[in-house]
Amino acid sequence: MRNQIEFEVYGNYALFTDPLMKLGGEKLTYQIPTYQALKGIVESIYWKPSIIWYIDEIRVMNPIRMESKGIRPLDYGGGNTLANYTYLRDVRYQVRAHFEFNYNRKDLEGDFNEHKHHNIAKRCVKAGGRRDVYLGTRECQAYVVPCDFNEGKGHYDDIEEIHFGTMIHGINYPDETGKKVMEVRLWQPVMRHGIIKFIRPEECSLIRPIREYQTKKFLLHENMQPVETLYNDLFGGE
Amino acid sequence: MSYLYALYKTYNNNLDKVGVIETKNTGKKTIEYTLLPISHTTQTAHIEVTVTPDGEFYDARVIKENTILPFTEESGSRAGTNYVPHVLHDKLMFVAGDYVKYTGQEDKASCFEDYIQQLKDWCESEYSHPDIVAIYNYVKKGTLIEDLVQKNILYLDEQRKLLKKWDSNRGKEKPEIFSAVTGDQESAFVRFDVHYPNQVHDHVWNNKEIYDLYSRYYDTKLRDKDLCYVSGEYLPAVERHPNKLRNSADKAKLISANDTSGFTFRGRFLNSREVTNISYEVSQKAHNALKWLIDKQGKTVDGRVFLAWGLRSPNIPQATEDVLEDLNSYLPNLFEIESSNNLSGTREALARKYNQLLSGINKNFTVDENDEVYVMTLDAATPGRLAVLYFRNLHINVYFERLKEWHIGCSWKHRRKVDGEWKEFYGSPSFQTIAKYAYGPRPSDKLIKTVMERLLPCVIDGRAIPLDIVQNAIQRASNPVAFNEEWEWEQALSVACSLVKKHYEKEEYSMALDKTNTDRDYLFGRLLAVADVLERNALSEADQKRATNAVRYMNAFVRAPLRTWHTIHQNLHPYLMRLGSNARRYTDLFQEISDLFNPNDYNNKPLTGKYLLGYYSQRQDLYTKKEKEGVDEE
Repeated sequence: MRNQIEFEVYGNYALFTDPLMKLGGEKLTYQIPTYQALKGIVESIYWKPSIIWYIDEIRVMNPIRMESKGIRPLDYGGGNTLANYTYLRDVRYQVRAHFEFNYNRKDLEGDFNEHKHHNIAKRCVKAGGRRDVYLGTRECQAYVVPCDFNEGKGHYDDIEEIHFGTMIHGINYPDETGKKVMEVRLWQPVMRHGIIKFIRPEECSLIRPIREYQTKKFLLHENMQPVETLYNDLFGGE
Repeated sequence: MSYLYALYKTYNNNLDKVGVIETKNTGKKTIEYTLLPISHTTQTAHIEVTVTPDGEFYDARVIKENTILPFTEESGSRAGTNYVPHVLHDKLMFVAGDYVKYTGQEDKASCFEDYIQQLKDWCESEYSHPDIVAIYNYVKKGTLIEDLVQKNILYLDEQRKLLKKWDSNRGKEKPEIFSAVTGDQESAFVRFDVHYPNQVHDHVWNNKEIYDLYSRYYDTKLRDKDLCYVSGEYLPAVERHPNKLRNSADKAKLISANDTSGFTFRGRFLNSREVTNISYEVSQKAHNALKWLIDKQGKTVDGRVFLAWGLRSPNIPQATEDVLEDLNSYLPNLFEIESSNNLSGTREALARKYNQLLSGINKNFTVDENDEVYVMTLDAATPGRLAVLYFRNLHINVYFERLKEWHIGCSWKHRRKVDGEWKEFYGSPSFQTIAKYAYGPRPSDKLIKTVMERLLPCVIDGRAIPLDIVQNAIQRASNPVAFNEEWEWEQALSVACSLVKKHYEKEEYSMALDKTNTDRDYLFGRLLAVADVLERNALSEADQKRATNAVRYMNAFVRAPLRTWHTIHQNLHPYLMRLGSNARRYTDLFQEISDLFNPNDYNNKPLTGKYLLGYYSQRQDLYTKKEKEGVDEE
C-alpha cells in the first residue's frame, strides 16, 4: 500500500487498560492492543498534524500472558494508595500502518508532500522512533525495529480464530473527523492466524459520543515545522 | 474475550441453574450456593411470616436461612443511615408498619412508607403476582410486630417496646429469636410466604415465576439505554455494581467509580459516565455468575481467588489443585500404587493414566470442540476494590493438554491420608502443598497465595517453575533434622522430588532407579540412600529407633558431598559388622555405584536437587527388593 510502514514493536510489559477496570483504579489490560494504542505508537515514531496514521493490521507474535504487580499510584490529593495492575508480559507485535493527509486541515495544505513524509517515516522507524515509544501506558517502555510483516514464526499462526469480544477501537477527535465532538469507537476484533485486520475508524458502527471538543490550532512556521525543513534537517538536501 | 463477557456468556449457558440451590461439602460443613436470578440478592432471614391468600396473618417462625430476595440498584448498595428498602423481604424497620410504635425510633418512620410505596407499585404493575399482592395486603395493615409478639416470636419489655436483651430472671429458656439475630430483635430480617391450605406450592423466595416477574418489572424501572462496552449493544445502563463477590461480607467491587481526585480516569474524561458504560443485564449476569463460580469451585487463599471454568461446562479441573484431590472419585483405582507394578512411575504409564483420567472427566460433561476454558485470579489490595490479577482463555483441549503436561512432569510418589489411612499415589502436589513445603513449616497465607499465583503460568503457559521455589524445596528436603515428624520430612522430600523432576524435565527422570545414570549428583544421592538403608536395617535389628547418620549429615552432604561421605562411610563400620554376612549386598552396591563415577566428578562441589531423585529411587529400590527377597525366602 502507498505510504505504508512496517515495523515490529516489543517490550517486557504492556498495559492497554480496559476502561471498565480503569474507573476504580485496579487497571487490567486488554488481551491485545487497541487501534488507538497502536496509532499512538506510530505517532511516536513520526507524526505531523497534517497527516493521519491508519493502522492496517497487526500480528501477535508472542503468547498472550498476564502478570500482575502491586503498584502504589500517586494520589493527586496527596499520599498514595495501593492497587493491583495487571500487565501483558513479554509482548511482540508486527504492525503495518500507512498515512493519509488530513483534509480537515486545509490550512496545512502546504505540508502535504507525500514522498517526503513517507521517507521521513521510514527513516524514523529505522531510528526506533522520534519520541519514546510505549505500550499502552508510559511505564511500559517499548522498542521499535523495522521488519517485513509476516516474517518469522508467531505463536498464533496455526490458530484459526480467536474472538476478543467488544473492545475499544479508538477515540474520534475533532481535528481528524471535522466534527466538534469527541467520540469513543468500539468494535469486536477477531484474530485469524495471529493477525488482526483493523477496520478504518469511519467503518466502526459502535460510536459513543462523549462531549463537545475543540480542535487545536496549528500554524506552519509558528508551532509546527514544515515537512520541507524537517526533510532537509534529516537528509541534508540529498 | 473480556472476562466480563465470558462470565456473562457463562450465565446464559447455565440458565437452568438459576435459582436452584446447590450444595457442596467442604469436609467440615455443607455450603449452599445459587446462581442468582437477575435483580436478586441473598441474605440471611431470621423470621418467616406466612400469610393467607386473602392477606391475613397465618403463622410465623424463627429461622436462620439464606433467602433469595428481589432488590434494586439503590437498595443493593445501601449503607449507614441511607435507608433504602428492598422490594419484598427486608428488615423489621422497613416491613413493619408498627416499627416506630414499638421502638420509638421516629427517624425511621419513612422506611416503611418507602417500602410500602415500592411494593404497591410492583403490585399495581402488569408484572404482579397473587402471592405478592397477598403479602402487600397484609403488610400494609401495619400490624407485623404486634402479630409477631402475639405469636411469641418477638418480646416486649415493660414499656411495651421491643426488648433489648433477654435476662435470666424472665425465664430460663432464652427465646430463639435472641440467638438467631446477632444484634437486637429489631434488626431481624423478615421473609414472607403465602399459605395455601392442602396445596403444594413454591415458596415465594423460591418461585421462578416470581423471580422472572420481578426481573421484568424492574427492567421497566431502569434508566436510559446506552452503548454497553461489554456486549456492544444498546441496553439500559447501570452505575452501581454488586459487591459480596467472594463471600457475603465482601465489600470489594470489581467495577467501581467513586474516585474523583486520584486521577484514575480524569483527564481526557471528566466523569465516570464518560469513561465507560456497562448495561444492567450484563453487569448482573456477569457478577452473579462470578459469585456462583467462586462458591462452587473457587480456591480462596487469604482473599485471593483462583478460578477456572468452562464456558459451557463450569466443572473444569482446577490448575491450582492436584487433579487427584480435586476429583477424588477417580483416586482409588487409577493412581494408587500397586506394589507389584514397578513400571507405574514411568512417563508412558503416567501419560496413559492421565489420559484415562481426563477422558473420564470429559465424559462427565459434553465437551464441545470449540469450548473455551477461562482461568482467572482475583484479589483486593484495598477493602473496597477487587482486581483481576490474571485472566486467560484457552481452548479446552489445550487446557487439558497443559494440565496433563504439568501433572506428568511433576508426578512423584506421595503419601496421602484417605479415610484415615495412609495410601501411596502417583501425582503432582497441589500448589498449596508446594508452597507449604517450599516455604514451611508454617508459611503465611500471604506467601502461599503469592507462590500459587507464580505457579499458575507454569501450568497454563508451560513456563519453568521459578528457581527460588525449587531451591527452597530442595533446601528444606535436605535438612531432615529440622522436621518434628518423619512423615513431614517424607512429604517435603516427595514435593522436592516432584519439583526437581519437573525442573530437569529434559533429562526425563522417573521414579524407577536408573542404574545407567552417571550424573554425579544422582550417584551421590544413591550412595546416601544405601548408607541410610544399611544403618536403618542394622538399627531395627537391634530394635533401636533413631535418625541415621545419613539423615543427620544430609545437610552437610549437599554442600560438601565428598568430605561428608567419608564421615558417613566411616561411621558405617559398626553397622556393617553388626549386619555380618547381610552386609554384602550393601558393600557390593557401594562398589557398583562408585564404579559409575567419572573420576573427575568425585569431588566436593555442592550437589544439585538431582541427588534427591537418586536418593529416593535408590531407597525405594532397596526397600522393594528386600520385600521381594523376603517373599522368596518363605
